[in-house]
Amino acid sequence: MGDRDADPLRERLLEWLDTADAAIEGPQRAGTEDPFNELALRVFERNYTSVAAYGAYCHARGRTPAEVTHWLEIPAVPTAAFKEVELRAPDRPAESVFRTSGTTRGRERRGAHYVADLGLYRASLRPTFRSFLLPDDARLRFLSLMPPAPALPDSSLAFMITDATAAFGAEGSEAFATVEGKVPSGTNGAAGRTEGPSGVAGEAVIDFDRLEAEMDATCAAGEPVLLVGTSSAFIHWLDRLETGGRRYRLPEGSRLMDTGGSKGRGRRIDPAALRDLYGTRLGLEPWTCVNEYGMTELLSQRYDDGLRSHHQGVRRPTRKHGPAWLRSVAVDPETLEPLPAGQLGALRHVDLANLDSVAAVQTEDFGRVFEDGGVVVEGRAAGAPPRGCSIAMDLLLGGDR
Amino acid sequence: MSSVFDAWWLPDAPADLPLRSLTVGELQCRYPVPGHELVQGTAEALQNAGEALRRRPVREILDAVDAAAARLAEVRHPFRQEAEDLLTSATGYSPEMTRLVLDRMTADWRRGPLVELLRAEFGDTAVLDGFASAGGAGPVRRRVRAYGPRLAFQVFAGNVPGVAVTSLIRMLLVKGASLGKLASGQPVLPVLFARALDSVDPELARALAITYWPGGSEWDQTAAGAADLVVVYGGADAAASFRERVPDHERLVVHGPRFSVGAIGSEALGGGRLTDQVAAAVAAFDQHGCVSPHAIWVESNGTGAARFAKSLAEALQRAERSIPRGRIGRGEAAAIQQERGAAELRAHAEEVRVFTGEQTTWTVVYDPEPAFRASCLNRFVRVHPVPRLEELPPLLAPVGRLLQSVALACDSSRRTHLADRLARVGATRITTFERLPWPPPAWHHDGSAPLRELVRWVDLEE
Repeated sequence: MGDRDADPLRERLLEWLDTADAAIEGPQRAGTEDPFNELALRVFERNYTSVAAYGAYCHARGRTPAEVTHWLEIPAVPTAAFKEVELRAPDRPAESVFRTSGTTRGRERRGAHYVADLGLYRASLRPTFRSFLLPDDARLRFLSLMPPAPALPDSSLAFMITDATAAFGAEGSEAFATVEGKVPSGTNGAAGRTEGPSGVAGEAVIDFDRLEAEMDATCAAGEPVLLVGTSSAFIHWLDRLETGGRRYRLPEGSRLMDTGGSKGRGRRIDPAALRDLYGTRLGLEPWTCVNEYGMTELLSQRYDDGLRSHHQGVRRPTRKHGPAWLRSVAVDPETLEPLPAGQLGALRHVDLANLDSVAAVQTEDFGRVFEDGGVVVEGRAAGAPPRGCSIAMDLLLGGDR
Repeated sequence: MSSVFDAWWLPDAPADLPLRSLTVGELQCRYPVPGHELVQGTAEALQNAGEALRRRPVREILDAVDAAAARLAEVRHPFRQEAEDLLTSATGYSPEMTRLVLDRMTADWRRGPLVELLRAEFGDTAVLDGFASAGGAGPVRRRVRAYGPRLAFQVFAGNVPGVAVTSLIRMLLVKGASLGKLASGQPVLPVLFARALDSVDPELARALAITYWPGGSEWDQTAAGAADLVVVYGGADAAASFRERVPDHERLVVHGPRFSVGAIGSEALGGGRLTDQVAAAVAAFDQHGCVSPHAIWVESNGTGAARFAKSLAEALQRAERSIPRGRIGRGEAAAIQQERGAAELRAHAEEVRVFTGEQTTWTVVYDPEPAFRASCLNRFVRVHPVPRLEELPPLLAPVGRLLQSVALACDSSRRTHLADRLARVGATRITTFERLPWPPPAWHHDGSAPLRELVRWVDLEE
């Protein structure tokens, strides 16, 4: 039941994650070798039988494993559903429960992703991170603006950063953020396992003084680093640098990963403008700034391919690419039908690493998916005009959108 | 409609103002580039126009407003036709909804309802025209007069058309000049009303200035500084930011975000027209009004409420045929799909049922969980069972400060008691489903008296 050895599908999947291309770009190679569809249908069948609510949902739509033959036909659960039902196999205990950041005002619940097998998460995030942030196999210290995973046990992002640091970060990698003043425990160790939901995550507090001292030392030593954190943390830091009239010229080879856009707290700034600021304040070329697109509901991620393309000496428009086991499609929000390549729609993802929950997830993020599988994300609710009273009230009541 | 709509009324501004474009729905608009001179100059012109306004008796103001409203009410009048075309383009409402909204709102701007409003608030409107006896039998003989502001800066919200015009009319009735800042989503009616007013009484029309500038800009401060009263409609952000920026001595009237709900007693179920009235209330303004119900509680053990949800679904389908839901943004459509899917997934383990129209046109979710949840709007309504209606007020208490109207369908013997309980948790209007979307002109808007809150009283003692 829970034993990995008795689960050939899991084995097959892990084997594929280990050998498959963690960075699909260029036209999907036609031919017999691409097992995505076959594996997607098997994962779908697993999801269908393990997660009763999902099984009923699919059955009601007449889209059962017997009827579905292509991954585009797999019914997708909306991200909102993670707030309302437990999308998990009840007989598998969760190694971790990751929760979306939501407000705790009013009745807004946080979405919960029950992860039965963190091994799958690691197996997905590591090769993909490496492909897009370390295509040159550089050995860099990671400097993180995110608290380490033990301090934020319900953050899938904290887990990812801590795990990537453990896998690829050079000696001396550090986190410069804590939660509610707690001292972070060792940051270069394994992410460790946590039980399910403990408490509500506290406020992340970044030690800017220490970070800037580190930046001074780094620049003086001429040793490149990898900076990582949420876009809003970076914006906060950049504003602080501007106020203080400080700037850095990070050593060549340095790079940055940000994520999350600028939703939530703090001021909004568009991605291009943010890249400019990384250039002005940190001395980073635009192609070294890699934005990650991920979410609590998925165990696989997409990244800007700018750094990877630069490393390959290839010029192409920067898009978000991901691993072979993650496919995305833009759908018409009125009908939920898939749209042709390049058209703007609501993004749906099929993430085979979600073996123990639901692989097909419908988001409210809008974007375009191109022939080569690359995605350009345009943000949420881009078409909704502000309506004054009603939308504001939604925000007041703690709506996430 | 290929022409560009000039989204301003600035009768005293120079002729060749530099302009910027603004797209509102499918309507191309343009507005004058804001600047210190424009805002300050407009404020000064309004101060002068206000002098003339103050010399006009209320009776004449009523005549002019009525005549202007008639031009927007009468189906064949060019102003009305223009309003229909422009509103449909800008809001995305179906033509049927546009006509309904125009018919109902313009009806409130006619002499009859406005006289009713004035009487309800002032008794004898002579107090607006001069010092009038205060009555009473005390030792001090006293006369009183109600003075509107010299200049009001009004900031409008974009959720439904017409509310801004109502606000401009209220200000005219108390003889205050208005500088109105349009919401980016609703430029049409205030401008057309001003033009209609100009066609019948140019002097009065000069007491209005209407334009647009993006929210949060420095001009808010300039305009607020020139005014002696600021009226703000809309979101919590707008209200909060104005509270900070308006000087302490200046008066601020806020009509913040609000929502409404419905409640049905078991004895009222099965009433022939009830479900259609509920559907019409959900459908009006495509549910974007502060009067729009987000959720309905039905007094039942469960089956009655579930059955009601199904009939409501059928009624919403009928409403979709007669007054179709308008065009919505892709983000709004995506939000509806999210809420539907999440509800459908709950259906496995709970008694949740989801009824849907074609595409995202309407949605009813029967939700046995009684707690209030905000709707994503555009005709998305939840139906909750509640064992006794008396148990509803505590469910609304957590969101009571945002609650406005409650449509209550129940036996008259329960009505007053329930109204009292609902009022205590925050409701400011208890009404019927039929009247829910269309408050009477004399209503206490968000709990205050809409004309009295604009005036200051001056006593003349002998």
